[in-house]
Amino acid sequence: MILTQMLLCPVIGLLVALALPKNRPGWIRAVAITATGAALLLGVKLLLAFDPNAPGIQFQQRVSWIAPLNVYYNVGIDGLSLPMVLLTVLLGFIACLASNSIKTRHKEYYVLYLLLVAGMLGTFIALDLFLFYVFWEMVLVPMYFLIGIWGGGRREYSAFKFFVYTLAGSMGILLSILTLYFRTQTFDILTLTATGHSLELGLQKLLFIGFFVGFAVKVPLFPFHTWLPDAHVDAPTPISVILAGVLLKMGGYAFLRIGYPILPDGARSFGWLMAGLGAIGVVYGAFVALAQTDLKKLVAYSSVSHMGFVAIGLASLTPEGVHGAIFQMFSHGIVTGGMFLLVGVLYERTHTRSLDAFGGLGVRVPKFSALFIFFSMASLGLPGLSGFVGEFLSLLGAYESLQKAVIFATIGIVMTAAYTLTATQKVLLGPLNEKWKALPDVDGLEMLTLVPLLVLTLVIGVYPLFLIGLQDASVQRFLTQVLGA
Amino acid sequence: MSSILSDSLLFWRPELCLAAGALLSLLLGAWGRPSRAAIAMAWLTVFATAFLLAAAPGPSSAALFFDMIVIDPFASVFRWLALATTSIVLLMVVGSRDGTEPDRGEYAGLVLMVGLGLMLMAQANNLLMAYVAVELVSLSSYLLVGFADDARGREAALKYLFFGALSSGVMLFGMSLLFGLTGELGFLGLLQAASGWPAQPPSIVLLSVLLILVGVAFKISLVPFHMWTPDVYEGAPVPVTALLSVGPKAAALALLVRMVVALQPVWPALGPVLIGLTVLTMTFGNLVALVQTNVKRLFAYSTIGQVGYLLIGLVVQTPAGLQGMILYLIAYLFMNLGAFACLAWVVQETGRESLDAFNGLGRRSPALAFLLALFLLSLAGIPPLFGFIGKFYLFGAAIQAHHVPLAVAGAVNSAIALYYYVKLIRQMYLATEDAPVTPRGTLPLKIAAGICAIATIGFGVFPTFILAWLPQVTQINLL
Repeated sequence: MILTQMLLCPVIGLLVALALPKNRPGWIRAVAITATGAALLLGVKLLLAFDPNAPGIQFQQRVSWIAPLNVYYNVGIDGLSLPMVLLTVLLGFIACLASNSIKTRHKEYYVLYLLLVAGMLGTFIALDLFLFYVFWEMVLVPMYFLIGIWGGGRREYSAFKFFVYTLAGSMGILLSILTLYFRTQTFDILTLTATGHSLELGLQKLLFIGFFVGFAVKVPLFPFHTWLPDAHVDAPTPISVILAGVLLKMGGYAFLRIGYPILPDGARSFGWLMAGLGAIGVVYGAFVALAQTDLKKLVAYSSVSHMGFVAIGLASLTPEGVHGAIFQMFSHGIVTGGMFLLVGVLYERTHTRSLDAFGGLGVRVPKFSALFIFFSMASLGLPGLSGFVGEFLSLLGAYESLQKAVIFATIGIVMTAAYTLTATQKVLLGPLNEKWKALPDVDGLEMLTLVPLLVLTLVIGVYPLFLIGLQDASVQRFLTQVLGA
Repeated sequence: MSSILSDSLLFWRPELCLAAGALLSLLLGAWGRPSRAAIAMAWLTVFATAFLLAAAPGPSSAALFFDMIVIDPFASVFRWLALATTSIVLLMVVGSRDGTEPDRGEYAGLVLMVGLGLMLMAQANNLLMAYVAVELVSLSSYLLVGFADDARGREAALKYLFFGALSSGVMLFGMSLLFGLTGELGFLGLLQAASGWPAQPPSIVLLSVLLILVGVAFKISLVPFHMWTPDVYEGAPVPVTALLSVGPKAAALALLVRMVVALQPVWPALGPVLIGLTVLTMTFGNLVALVQTNVKRLFAYSTIGQVGYLLIGLVVQTPAGLQGMILYLIAYLFMNLGAFACLAWVVQETGRESLDAFNGLGRRSPALAFLLALFLLSLAGIPPLFGFIGKFYLFGAAIQAHHVPLAVAGAVNSAIALYYYVKLIRQMYLATEDAPVTPRGTLPLKIAAGICAIATIGFGVFPTFILAWLPQVTQINLL
């Protein structure tokens, strides 16, 4: 029930916002913040009620939806999805707070935003392939408008590219879901997980390719990533946070929930591909980030790089690797979310994101600088912060079986340090650019959005067991399912 | 003999009512101007027909009029589809302000006439009957296309007439060949005759079947018999375009289904051709739609693409395929007619049919833009809208019947089609409008769009009822 309540929070908020008059942006914003806040509170309640020792699905609810097709409204979570759900409600709330940078068409914005949050939440809790697909696609439409209407730069092009890329990928998912259904007569992910391994290898491979295309676009894995820099850069700040923080995780999570457990043999036979593309992504993303002069684009490419670790960790199919992959997803969500918020802070004040336009801001805006350095270090993988744990575990888990990919990916780690430090240096150090003499520092609301992310980055960086403990039982179960007893 | 006739007429009351109503509307329209009485007559007819249809006996099969016509659950679906199409189009006719007001009585009468023809097409159990039905639809359509009485409309009507006459001739020639070969005109007799043929039937048989198919292919705009579609759609008044894009497609598909069943023994030779044309049709339609700048032409090519998806249900030759086809037809009816109601609304407001008439629609009239976006997303197959459920069934049927390439072609095409549907949405919401326009949506148009929207969302989210009812339709033998 609690999951349904959580899902209903943004939906009810959406309906209330729809009913409110257009010329009351304050009310509408309050409704949206209340709705996402309520979802966050339920998230905390969920975390407290969650039993970390139970490997199976918890809080499950199953109601018949389309009886002739055996489609159920079937939701539930385990240790694999809990981090993603928490990430969604947390960033959903924070990005909603940060949405005060939106100045036009408030009503449409918040309605679409809440629809987006509902879609993402649904994707992470769905246990029925049909339902999963509906939520997966439901995310596309609001995202298209959110980038296209409130974005900057080439927003129309970027929104369009995002939509078409993702939907093209989704077609692969749809075909695989259909084929699975006609083989097994069920959409139930849990049933399919239990029986999927009995499908013949050739079919498993084909189905996995279908899923792979759709999921890889979302992760995004090289070379399916080209929509990401455009969409991330042109989206408004809160939407960039959601895109990088939550949306990309849908891809990684889908591999964990569907791709691997249902088609273990098919997935295993493409392990080299996952790891290879992941490693290429790590290195390629880092190199391209190094060449950027636009701060936001730099952060966007760093996402390509960081998500590569998720693929490597997953492909390893070792406890360390899978823990690392989930950890990296969560960590990337909060760290990159923080980075995009900071870029937004800067852009709000200076209306530029060009690295060369800044310099010496460290003197002028100490609070901003401290935060910027903190999140940069977390992104760089400084031990003690969350980014390190995810990358380290992913590579550790993969080292034995995927040595070449791991060694190649370490080049990326070095380059990550290079571009992160370059960015920090160009923005914060050097002589103060006279233009920004009167630059105001981070204000109260912005602090409110950034500090929770900072605390969380530090907490799970210092004490990773906090997150790993939640995942552990489910990760073990996941590995037994994929590798066989 | 008289008992056969009277029994037949008993089953055929909805059609009789529709025929009488159509003729009366025509007559009243010719006499009385303004055409209020004729319009009232048309509405009365629609409601009376609906009532008679609802009162008609349940799912059973009956051959009427000496086996010329068959009323079975399959035909009943198409009766309802034809009536639904007719009434929504009638709403659009009444709601449009395009200068056809004085002749509206004849306009409405002809629309009803097409509706009658559509019902007949789905019930025909005999080649001659099929021909008569197709001609009834065609002749009424020629008139309707030229109804706006401007240069473009006249050109379109003439073009449609020439193409249509040619294809009718070809079809008739095919029928005469087949009649000469078998001595049969009834579908049942044809099936019996065809069962005696060798596995590889003589080429003259194939030729005659192909010729007949050309006539039907023309009606459903199967590539390469689609050439008339964009020009005719562009020249016709919007409500007529809407009618043509749904009604004849549905009815001709029903006819095609029956003919394919009757000519089942020829299928091994015929199947690959039809499968090839299916893929060609959807791919061609969607690709050419990408570059259109006139919204009616865009929808013409989109229709061609959609017909491609529908044909998947036919060529896989399974009950599941047939169910998928019917389901998608119902979805297509609502989403396409809904989209056309919105188009009529926009064209009325801006006086333009180019795509830039949609610039800034999202700000200008948010409700209209929302509805149109909804229909476009449904046409593109985005869940949880009705169009998605239909596509899901169709692609599923293809996979189930081991026609995986067909499903893949459909999926790839869906992605291509998304491009132009979203392009239109983009213009509504992301582009700024060129010139201010006064909102002039009329109530009937709003009702039409509203009904379609409710169906598109309602059946999309709660398809259980309709899915549970589908198998009844295809359980029975079609002959």
